[in-house]
Amino acid sequence: MRDGLFRNTVLIAKREYLERVKSRLFRITTLLVPIGMAGLAFLGQFSGRKMEGVQHMAIVSGDPGLANEVKAALLDGESAPKTVDVYAPATPADRTLLNGEISSHQIGGYLMVERAEGDTQPEGTWVSGSAINFVSQEQMERALSQALIREQLAARGMREPQVQALMKKTKLNTMQVKNGAAVTSDSEKSFLGAYILIIVLYASVLIYGINIARSVVEEKTTRIFEVLLSTTSSDSLMLGKLLGVGAVGLTQMAIWGALLVFYTGTAMAASQGVHGLASLGITKAELGFFGIFFLGGFFLYSALAAALGSSVSGEQEVQQFTFVLISPLVVSVVLLGYVLGNPNSTASVVLSLIPPFTPIIMYMRICTQMPPWWQVWLSVVLLAASVWSMVWLAARIYRVGVLMYGKRATLPEMLRWLRYS
Amino acid sequence: MLSPFLSDTADCDSRSIPDSMDPLVELDHVSKSYEDKAAVRDLSLKIEAGSMFGLLGPNGAGKTSTIRMMIGITMPDAGKVSLFGKPFGNDALKRVGYLPEERGLYKKMKVIDQLVFLAELRGLGALEARRRSKQWCERLQIAESMDKRTEELSKGMQQKIQFISTLLHDPELIIMDEPFSGLDPVNAVLLQDTLLELKKSGNAVLFSTHRMDQVEKLCDSICLINHGEAVLAGGMREVKSRYERNRVIIQFEGSDAFLRHAAIEEYKSYAGHAEIKLKHQADAQDLLRTAAATATITKFELVEPSLEEIFIETVGGRSDA
Repeated sequence: MRDGLFRNTVLIAKREYLERVKSRLFRITTLLVPIGMAGLAFLGQFSGRKMEGVQHMAIVSGDPGLANEVKAALLDGESAPKTVDVYAPATPADRTLLNGEISSHQIGGYLMVERAEGDTQPEGTWVSGSAINFVSQEQMERALSQALIREQLAARGMREPQVQALMKKTKLNTMQVKNGAAVTSDSEKSFLGAYILIIVLYASVLIYGINIARSVVEEKTTRIFEVLLSTTSSDSLMLGKLLGVGAVGLTQMAIWGALLVFYTGTAMAASQGVHGLASLGITKAELGFFGIFFLGGFFLYSALAAALGSSVSGEQEVQQFTFVLISPLVVSVVLLGYVLGNPNSTASVVLSLIPPFTPIIMYMRICTQMPPWWQVWLSVVLLAASVWSMVWLAARIYRVGVLMYGKRATLPEMLRWLRYS
Repeated sequence: MLSPFLSDTADCDSRSIPDSMDPLVELDHVSKSYEDKAAVRDLSLKIEAGSMFGLLGPNGAGKTSTIRMMIGITMPDAGKVSLFGKPFGNDALKRVGYLPEERGLYKKMKVIDQLVFLAELRGLGALEARRRSKQWCERLQIAESMDKRTEELSKGMQQKIQFISTLLHDPELIIMDEPFSGLDPVNAVLLQDTLLELKKSGNAVLFSTHRMDQVEKLCDSICLINHGEAVLAGGMREVKSRYERNRVIIQFEGSDAFLRHAAIEEYKSYAGHAEIKLKHQADAQDLLRTAAATATITKFELVEPSLEEIFIETVGGRSDA
């Protein structure tokens, strides 16, 4: 008996999988998403280059000492220009020459640094052919104030090496207590892990969860489901669908994952500071949990989609339900900041144990501060149990759908019909 | 937690051969209601192996509700349903071929893949399913469409595919809800002949319809239900013999004045042809003598009422349709 159900579940999963993998939609999304991502990365790099500071510039000043201090500060700072020419003391002829060079795009612009008589604060004026971007503006302002501080320190008798040492940027290290031991932490990376999970989960729920709902609705509208129900139980129909469509999702993720690994080994990635997957800052354990919570979340939301699909009568209503389906994910995203700050507060613990929130919230907690094991496993058990019961419920609603032809069931109606079936 | 994937009904061994005395389907005082409407009331019936059974009734009489209980899509509120001599179990479904009235196919799927899939669900191996699908497609003259997608086919063709999918696993019990609706006469006859052949080879066929001419031609026994209740049941011959032979078919040349004879209750007259219903225990021979006096009689036949007449007489104006 159970063998028959298992066999049918596999048959249904196989059909769902093959029909989808062979479809044009699958080929298109599998290709388009990486192309789109690569395009975005390229665009990011391109616009990043646009936001660089000035590469070739000049400093114009009546005070050679100050001009050289500003030059030193500029070359020492972040996003430093490649070439800085100094005209000090400058003549009007120099300025005419520089204006010409701006017009012919030989230099990005020049910084006039002047100091009024008896004033310590120098005043800078940036002359260029276009409006200044904020990278360049910050570059100039920082250089000017640093030059002033260096000058003032030197004027108070401090020697050059001491000045250098004082002006050096201090670095903030962060530590995190994980499993009772303090380890180096990187809150950006913790956040990044959860963020990737959200994006991947969100995308796959939107694509494949909705796909399950569509597939259920298709069987209802074409009325093939009464034939199916006369061959096997609605449980194996629902479970088969979930596994089949889930396998399609995993296939696509695997293809994308392989492309990502391939990408991280390429020169383009190296130029962006990525050297292999490990440099993304995700540990093996975290990757394992990523897998567990991704699958758990994916199956829960897909089973929910199947239940929703079973209770509606047409394709259009699926669209209306999409928001209901993804709202727990949206809520998880909103709560993410709070959980990152308070990973062990009662609210965070409770939230991470509520199945629709578990995948993202619990994963976030694991990434920031490892929760007690019992909480992790409890959340996984609750997640699995809710997937199971959702499949069970979806199967019942699907079955009842035979009796309710052409209309959407309200909840009380559905409960009544469940009794009749 | 109890596994939701276990059936709550008893197991059924699909390999056991039913006792020859056991009917394939038995409904024993079965009732089913939805909301406050009774769909089926205290219905009992039996379908034997190697017979063709007609489940008749006007629209909304409870035919589909009855069929759904037979194959476990719904459970009865009261009474007992047995399939192959045992209470319903999912494995019995492999021995049943069901063609619902509201039926469909996967639109984007190829015909052959679809047939193989449905046959596999009913327990056939993939290779065998493919072999039989091809055979059946050839038999029903749609072999050239096997590699097409369903959505490219006409409605009649799709209906043939649904018909084939019901029969691929060689079910002992074939249940068809309005199998011939929407088919052209040539294809309807093709499918009727197929069902008759299956019956001859020992399969039991149940079909529900309100096309009485088909039932009369095909069925060995019938059950007529109205408002969920059996109002007429039994072997076709036996049911018809319960009715008086009081129909007369006359073909004549000359005057139709004999149609005013006192024995006639009502009649339909066409050019040289009349169908007459006689009054209770009226003398048909006297009518013949009167008719022969004024016209030349080329045919005079005394017959039982047709099933259609019995249907209309029994259900009367009480149909929900």
